[in-house]
Amino acid sequence: MNQRWEIWVGLLGTVMLVWAHYTGLFVSPPEAMMGDVGRILYAHVPTAWVGLLTYLVAFIAAIGALATGRAAWDAMVEATVEVGLLLNVLLLIQGSLWAKPTWGVYWTWDPRLTTCAIMVVAFGVVLALRRQIDAPMRRLTISSVATIIAFVNVPIVYLSVKWWKTLHQPYSSPETVDSAMVTPLRVAAFGMLFLATAFVVRRWRIGLVALQRDFEAPDLPEASAPLKVED
Amino acid sequence: MKTIRDVLWKDLLIEWRARSRTVALLSFAYTILLLFAFAIGPDAAALRQHAGAYLWLGLLLCSSLLLDRTMRTEFEAGAIQSLMLVPVSSSGLFFGKALANTLQLWLVGAVSVPLVFVVCDASLTESVGLMALTLVMGAAGLAAPGTLYAAMIARLSGRQLLLPLMLFPLVVPVVVAAVKSTSLVMLGDPMDQIGSWLVLLGCFNLVYWSLCGILFGRVVEA
Amino acid sequence: MTGMIQGGWEFVWLVYGITWAGLIGYGLSLARKDARA
Repeated sequence: MNQRWEIWVGLLGTVMLVWAHYTGLFVSPPEAMMGDVGRILYAHVPTAWVGLLTYLVAFIAAIGALATGRAAWDAMVEATVEVGLLLNVLLLIQGSLWAKPTWGVYWTWDPRLTTCAIMVVAFGVVLALRRQIDAPMRRLTISSVATIIAFVNVPIVYLSVKWWKTLHQPYSSPETVDSAMVTPLRVAAFGMLFLATAFVVRRWRIGLVALQRDFEAPDLPEASAPLKVED
Repeated sequence: MKTIRDVLWKDLLIEWRARSRTVALLSFAYTILLLFAFAIGPDAAALRQHAGAYLWLGLLLCSSLLLDRTMRTEFEAGAIQSLMLVPVSSSGLFFGKALANTLQLWLVGAVSVPLVFVVCDASLTESVGLMALTLVMGAAGLAAPGTLYAAMIARLSGRQLLLPLMLFPLVVPVVVAAVKSTSLVMLGDPMDQIGSWLVLLGCFNLVYWSLCGILFGRVVEA
Repeated sequence: MTGMIQGGWEFVWLVYGITWAGLIGYGLSLARKDARA
């Protein structure tokens, strides 16, 4: 039971998410400004929160990986970036599908949507790099550095796109959430959080097995291995 | 401090000795600008309006070539191992290289500006100083993460395709701010917005020069 | 309720469908990877 606790967390999360989405879709009133289209928010908002949170964990894991050089931290970077990317891609699709009935176009240079797209590239690059590098220590270092930079970049990109956009036209976004909608939204958010946690932990376990094997493999002398200098 | 100066001098010397490559890079920048003009067509108003954008897109494309080239010289023939044997601080190494890249990129930009004026029928409405400042800050913003990333993938085979892709998310704020600032310098700035764009560029540079300086050592050791 | 968007249910279904497809798909791929490991 102890070994597989994440399955139960994941199941709980799924149940919560199902309840919240059912309620949001069929029971809650339509949103004041957006009508029924506003029901998208029970899927979109939790994805956004949990996605960003997952990337935050990836950032912390990357720092840990650089600090310790251990496979466990590296596996956490791998797991969180992968799950984060899943949520990120979903977020992008959701955002685009929400934009169409709301603003009439699938893409607007909305700061949030634009930042979302850029994040997909930045974190996708981390996974691409991991696939290309075979040496485990170098892979750990490079992917951790790329993760740290990708995360630091998020607020900067958001701010610059926001300024860029608002200088052309005033920026408005519907933000108020009706009280009847708060409960399913909260349940959806936690449900998504539990589900994502289950994904990350499971993915971490799977990755750890392979990475431990890589790190313990006999060190074959690399032709291009640099000599370390003690500072 | 001395490391930075030495590395900077070494890099500039290498580039000066191979200045035919620099000439090739400048020709590339010119070609890009001309191609943009041809692609947009003889719409004088559009060309003038977006002159800043063409300038920075050209610079962006040049930066990929430049960064790859200047980093390759370090990793060829095991030069980087010898460099790591000398007791230099890796951040000193980073700052020296990144400064050299900044200067070269700034040079390409400075040389491209007159061509942009001619081809796009643009001119300076605000001061030359602001243009020069924008060029420096933008070049620095491209060079800092670019130097780090070029080092990161120096040993990978697909790096020429990978470098622009990796840099793209980082470079978006720089391009946005630099293009806006350049356009305002060229077209006029009635609402005094250049300042805020330069501040954005400044913050970006502050964050990335420090962050990349810290991380460079780990990347090169790996 | 002036200015309220009418309809748009097909987008709502698309969003929820794709979201759940993504989540379930990823969950299944994890289960399969684990079985093989």
